[in-house]
Amino acid sequence: MIKQPQPLPESHPLSRIRQFFQHGDLLWRAILVLISILVLALMLSIGWMLWQSSSNARTIFGLSFLLPTTDASWDPVNNLFQAWPFIYGTLLTSLVALLLALPVSLGIAIFLAELCPDWLRTPLNWLVELLAAVPSVVYGLWGLFVFLPMVVAPLGTNLAAVFGQIPLFAGPVTSSGASRLGAALVLSVMIIPTIAAISRDVLLAIPNSQREASLALGSTQWETIWQVLIPYGLSGILGAVILGLGRALGETMAVTMVIGNSIETSASLLRPGYTMASIIANEFAEAVTQLHSEALIEVGFVLFVMTLLLNMLARFLVWRVASRTPQEARV
Amino acid sequence: MNKKFFVVFAVLAIASMLLSACGAPATPAAPVAPEVQTQVVVQTQVVEKIVQVTPTADMSKPTDMPAGSVTVNGAGATFPAAVYADWAYAYQYVDPSVVINYQGIGSGGGKKAIVDGTVDFAGSDSLLADADYTNGKDLQMYPTLGGAVVLIYNIKLAKPLPTPAAGATAVTLPALVLDRQTLVDIFNSKITKWNDPAIVKLNSAWADYLPATDIVTVHRSDGSGTTEIFTKALASFSADWKAGGAQSVEWPKGNNVGGKGNAGVAASVINTPGAIGYVELNYALSNSLAYASLINQAGKTIVPNNASVQAAMAGAQFSDKMTATIVDSKDPAAYPIAGFTYLILHTTNMKDCVKAQKILEFWKWAETDPSAQSRVVKLGFSPLPAADSKLMLDGLSKVACNGAPVLK
Amino acid sequence: MSNYSEKIKAGYLRRLQGRKVINLLMLAVTFLATLMALIPLFWIVGYVIYMGAPSLNYDFFTQLPRPVGMEGGGVLHAVQGTIIVTVLAAVFAIPPGVVAAFYAARHPNTPLGVALRFSTDVLSGVPSIVVGLFAYALIVKPMGHYSGLAGGAALAIIMLPTIIRTTEEMLKLLPSNLREGSLALGAAEWKTSLSVLFPAAFSGIMTGFLLALARAMGETAPLLFTALGNERFNVNLIVTSGLKSKQNIGQITQRILDQPLDSLPLTLWKYASSPYPERVAQAWGVALVLMIFVLLLNITARLWLANRAKKLRG
Repeated sequence: MIKQPQPLPESHPLSRIRQFFQHGDLLWRAILVLISILVLALMLSIGWMLWQSSSNARTIFGLSFLLPTTDASWDPVNNLFQAWPFIYGTLLTSLVALLLALPVSLGIAIFLAELCPDWLRTPLNWLVELLAAVPSVVYGLWGLFVFLPMVVAPLGTNLAAVFGQIPLFAGPVTSSGASRLGAALVLSVMIIPTIAAISRDVLLAIPNSQREASLALGSTQWETIWQVLIPYGLSGILGAVILGLGRALGETMAVTMVIGNSIETSASLLRPGYTMASIIANEFAEAVTQLHSEALIEVGFVLFVMTLLLNMLARFLVWRVASRTPQEARV
Repeated sequence: MNKKFFVVFAVLAIASMLLSACGAPATPAAPVAPEVQTQVVVQTQVVEKIVQVTPTADMSKPTDMPAGSVTVNGAGATFPAAVYADWAYAYQYVDPSVVINYQGIGSGGGKKAIVDGTVDFAGSDSLLADADYTNGKDLQMYPTLGGAVVLIYNIKLAKPLPTPAAGATAVTLPALVLDRQTLVDIFNSKITKWNDPAIVKLNSAWADYLPATDIVTVHRSDGSGTTEIFTKALASFSADWKAGGAQSVEWPKGNNVGGKGNAGVAASVINTPGAIGYVELNYALSNSLAYASLINQAGKTIVPNNASVQAAMAGAQFSDKMTATIVDSKDPAAYPIAGFTYLILHTTNMKDCVKAQKILEFWKWAETDPSAQSRVVKLGFSPLPAADSKLMLDGLSKVACNGAPVLK
Repeated sequence: MSNYSEKIKAGYLRRLQGRKVINLLMLAVTFLATLMALIPLFWIVGYVIYMGAPSLNYDFFTQLPRPVGMEGGGVLHAVQGTIIVTVLAAVFAIPPGVVAAFYAARHPNTPLGVALRFSTDVLSGVPSIVVGLFAYALIVKPMGHYSGLAGGAALAIIMLPTIIRTTEEMLKLLPSNLREGSLALGAAEWKTSLSVLFPAAFSGIMTGFLLALARAMGETAPLLFTALGNERFNVNLIVTSGLKSKQNIGQITQRILDQPLDSLPLTLWKYASSPYPERVAQAWGVALVLMIFVLLLNITARLWLANRAKKLRG
């Protein structure tokens, strides 16, 4: 006869401890928390590292590093660094890319969410997503050897001929086509899938009652889309746009390959330039003086903060749409 | 819904037909290979392609280590990268136990890497600063070979060359000639058109062919010893050059673009009609690019080649750090933009003595083996003169590991 | 009076006509926009195949590069390097990613959960070049040399947010009775998570892995200052030499991971910006190989997901 051990009463301190440790759940929870904290720490340490290792550059150049100037110097010989040309290049190419990509992406989103017959929807969704999957160096290769000479160079020459008086379109266009315009065009192709996919999801999340109400009042389908659905999902679409902008700001390889890598102070879209990401890609591995690498890291820090802010804004906007349409969502 | 779709599609079909009829630029035309658009190819010397590397038996030491046991990592200047890659490739037949990896990332990158200790050896044609000697305490530069920085150009002629009569040889233009002041003015953007009188005056044969198009100057976007040699030469040529001579300088504002590495500059010039850029001679030869002759200090027009670089190297005065600058030489036969390229090593505290030995054996082989040296000339570089070579080998023999000299 | 209402009606009909035309026109424009966006895709894919196919042959995958000027040679080093850094990245990123996703899915509203999801979002937006800078400071500088290990770590940071987010979403999709049932049967929380929830969400999670893998495989920027490049990298040589000198697996692995290496995108970038026609031709070949890898991974992932959706529905 084996004597069964008497179970301890529930209230016994030892049993409390046993429950606490039961099945190793404490360990599991500890691992979960630890890893989650690690992910958090990773994000923070990226920011911290960039901030920390650019301290000299920050104290020496202060705000003049970032402020607009027409005569910026980036001079590793005399250790004088001002990042305005890169900030301008990044902002200009990204904004132009956004301007070009927005109507096309909205068109895609509307078509995919509202109009597309079912049999076509899946393949089209796939194709748009494949566009996002093409590696950025491949975009660069195609941009450099195909797109620049075939499209950008003639386009740039014509723009300069017609609008040459405006500083934004001042020539001369380099014959290879390497220019901020080329970078902006390639970027616009690259961010279309991002904006289109999120806008599509935003449109799909709008309750059907909105459509039905509008159609019942006699609106055409386009009027429904333009006057009801788009305003309804506006903040979500804005979020999509901002995420697209974030992607454009940080894009490195494709831009480095087509932008011409020249520290240009002219404002023209048709001239070669530099972006923040491409100056880091080109110079970081060979920045010899401490200050030079710190200046590059500071450029990285500015880029990090820009994308951080944009991401926060975008998430907030998308989240607002999501939280406003709780039950009725169509899909 | 469905009916509407038919209508929509009908509209679309018509619209897309219209669009394609307009010949949207997006329709791919016949694919164009990125071909050389240079109109004039003038150089006569062509790099002899290496068809096969034959193992040089005499140098190979019997080694009991299996093939590929030791990996040596080097990085730095793109200037000699063609030679180093070639040597590294050939050396696998000499001593299979070691794999030599040299990455052409730019002289600046090489110096940074050796100071930070991220590579075993570095290549650089730019000199180490005093601070680098302080940071990397036992660093030493050794000259390995010399070379010329040449000006490559891509000029779209104002009118086509006359077609030769049947049987006659094709009419060609001579190499473009530039003098020292003109060169500085071009890179200062003071001369901005190809048919500027200053250029025409030096090139009478070109008079009718130089176009009225803009000159695009192509420079290095990365820290580069090629840039250092070139800008030091410009600074020596004329007081008008204010940007100084260093591995990366602030280029005067103007119509210029940057390319990464010697290769990037060559690629930019190839792809940009109207461009002029500076690269190591090898990059011009191996791409059959036209390159300019320069008028040196003595007033002679000099074609960059082994002989004219040797003339410049002959006058080299080595400092106690085993470095010398040979731009703008007074020798009438010397090409004015020439320079040494250097190997950088840690002389006393290499951690792995086996690896240290493999590195030094490789460099000793490279400097002394006749087949290795002959390849230098074939690739468009210049081997060191005997005296400099001896200086370098003496230097290498002083390298120690754990207090004992590495080379026996 | 009737005349008046006729007029109104006629006006209304005219306007209606106009509105209908605008309607059709704009709907057509949206379709055209879709087509227009797809032109670059077909253009790129077609061009890469056209230019890249001629350089693909047996040597291309089995030979190391030769010095410029010599015929032939391949990109074996880059194929090996790509596989190594991507696998490394997966090994580094998947376990913590999945675990963090369990936390995010289970405790979405605790302060840590909110912070975790926020940092996931931020990480996914960090430019890849900045990740490269970070990996340089974190690994290359302290280790003292460039290495495949550092490259793998940099790519892991790129993969992590995608893995966390897709896993989290897949876990959230699971019906809650699955978890409750398991707990009610007395299984511990960790056991429920790993042997009930994880397998149930596996195919969805796998989709996330594959997409993250595809993205990491095509990245160049994080490798610039970490993996650097190595034209003479050859795993076969390292392994055979290691075996001959009686090194154990650990030592051999260390030798493989400890040195700089090349990946396909890195090689593509270097070759594309080189002036040598044969290198540029090879760059197109590399682009083709890379596209095939990436697109295959993507298509597999989508098929997997579609298949699973069908199963769930049926």
